[in-house]
Amino acid sequence: MVESIQKLGRTGIEFISALGRSGVFLLRAIMGLSFTRKGVGLLVKQFYQVGVLSLIIIIVSGMFIGMVLGLQGYSILVDYGSEQAVGQMVALTLVRELGPVVTALLFAGRAGSALTAEIGLMKATEQLSSLEMMGVDPMRHIIAPRFWAGFMSLPILAAIFSAVGIFGGMLVSVDWLGVYDGAFWSNMQSAVEFDADVVNGMIKAVVFGLVVTWIAVFQGYDLIPTSEGISNATTKTVVYSSLAILGLDFLLTAVMFGGL
Amino acid sequence: MSSYIEVENLSFSRGYRKIFNGLSLSIPRGKVTAIMGPSGIGKTTLLKLIGGQLRPEGGRVLVDGQDFQTLGRDELFKARAKMGMLFQSGALFSDLTVYENVAFPLRAHTKLPEDMIRDIVIMKLNAVGLRGARDMKPSELSGGMTRRVALARSIVLDPALIMYDEPFAGQDPIAMGVLVQLIRLLNDTLGLTSVLVSHDIAESLSICDHAIVIADGRVIGAGSPEELRRSDSALVKQFVNGLPDGPVPFHFPARDYKDDLLGVDDSDLLGLGGGRG
Amino acid sequence: MYNKSVELVVGLFMVAGMAALMFLALQVSGLSLDSQKDSYRVYAQFDDLGGLSVRGRVSMAGVAIGRVSDVSLDKESAMALVEMEIYAEVDNLTTDSVASIQTSGLLGDKFVAISVGADEEYLQDGDTIFDTQSALNLEKLIGAFASGQADI
Repeated sequence: MVESIQKLGRTGIEFISALGRSGVFLLRAIMGLSFTRKGVGLLVKQFYQVGVLSLIIIIVSGMFIGMVLGLQGYSILVDYGSEQAVGQMVALTLVRELGPVVTALLFAGRAGSALTAEIGLMKATEQLSSLEMMGVDPMRHIIAPRFWAGFMSLPILAAIFSAVGIFGGMLVSVDWLGVYDGAFWSNMQSAVEFDADVVNGMIKAVVFGLVVTWIAVFQGYDLIPTSEGISNATTKTVVYSSLAILGLDFLLTAVMFGGL
Repeated sequence: MSSYIEVENLSFSRGYRKIFNGLSLSIPRGKVTAIMGPSGIGKTTLLKLIGGQLRPEGGRVLVDGQDFQTLGRDELFKARAKMGMLFQSGALFSDLTVYENVAFPLRAHTKLPEDMIRDIVIMKLNAVGLRGARDMKPSELSGGMTRRVALARSIVLDPALIMYDEPFAGQDPIAMGVLVQLIRLLNDTLGLTSVLVSHDIAESLSICDHAIVIADGRVIGAGSPEELRRSDSALVKQFVNGLPDGPVPFHFPARDYKDDLLGVDDSDLLGLGGGRG
Repeated sequence: MYNKSVELVVGLFMVAGMAALMFLALQVSGLSLDSQKDSYRVYAQFDDLGGLSVRGRVSMAGVAIGRVSDVSLDKESAMALVEMEIYAEVDNLTTDSVASIQTSGLLGDKFVAISVGADEEYLQDGDTIFDTQSALNLEKLIGAFASGQADI
């Protein structure tokens, strides 16, 4: 009994101190961005690693999700004779919710886990220590470019995801199921508001980008430098990111689209 | 004999375990000094304390008369450019070629033109005999080669101090011989101060000018290799000669062997054991 | 340390992101680049909005001429007060214009349809349309049908 309370207390203290460490870490990662020639070079390289390499999975998933939405939307709406509204349904679902959320989930699995493993491996093989001993700040040289590239890639990926998804929805409903394409687009345009829907969706993507890369990079930096530690941290990145994305999505939706 | 590094009354603990408690030692300038001791004694930690990567809880570390604790982050990074460290794993950057790895400190700290960087890198790679491997990736190198590239990288800025963390661990006899020779040669030709941390006694004693033996968080013996071999401290003797049992016991602390075998557990001893019929 | 092709690919990636965002803005949400056109405000009071909401369309002869910018309750008259933003180029709304709430399709969105009268004077910013027709209430209509008073 006493032991379990002790254990609980220790877990609590460990959690709070990890939170503190990660907060300080976040600040240093944000401040670590540099715009020297070398700094920009590192950033571009990470944009490639984190953003461009995630593009394929984002485009393929976006396409399929849009197609499924078109199919499902059509089969529901056709009962009410309002299958023209399928464009509106696909677009609103993607722009408000599925675009940012699914992109962030895929990003956590594809890029987040890779970031954790890469930084973890650098820590385990003493590359981070060795940078420090060479008088190069690993925060500035390793962490900050990865953090910024990840954080800024997610909104870009989310926009591409939504656009591709809407295209997929159009493909299914207009080209295959025969919805009149004028009605498809005009219903969509009258229902989707740029500032309310598109901008809010992008804000969600920015928030998710910050949280996912923060978790991924911190887990990599803070892990126990053994092979077991790396695999644990990679799992943690995916689990924590997914939970954070879904929880924050609820909060943000409540604030943005009303109700609460 | 002036000392380059002065460790005064150092204490440091990791978690609840005290690693050092009032450790004092000095490392002479321009010599090869070996710090030896059993595994898990905190030798790597000591190197990190000297390099200013860790902060001592008490006491201080002076490197060339400078206390790193009083320096700001930027000054500390500048001071570190004057020391090289060879990590146990080599710690080469896995996404860069051998050439880029060695060029890395130059690019980070100097604004030298590319052809000058090239000359320096090739000279340093030549010094460790790996000029031909410049386009290879670290994953293609053997353990001994990795360490030699790392060595080339740590001397590329011509440091005044170079620290070796377990340079001989896991090396085949040939690679070991090459490293022993390189450490000696670099120290003498470049006028460096070298510190090496190891538990390979024979190799360490064969190249060092000065040796320090640490156990239980304190210095138990220091002097030239000859002096240590002749030392009459039981602990130093056990370590230098590699005896399996002595003041450092072979057995991890445990309860009585006979009781353990007979399966007598603590509750039985108290007369509380039940269920044996 | 990195080559030009990586730079190029990353540049393309960002361009693709911008293009996707432009697509979402222009094609999906129908934002036209000159959406910040000048407009003036006109008010109308209705007995029953029947589901008309902010951002609803305001149209004349089926052409969009503005949007509903605010909906509130006028406590004195216990009627709904609708504020509309009408594009400035549509300056020929007469003071005796009629505003009615209509439905696009059977179950579609509610919108305000305005038809002009014959008056010589035109509505200015802040004026009110007095002649209004409320939304067609489907339940009332069905109720009336059922009780045989079909000719409302």
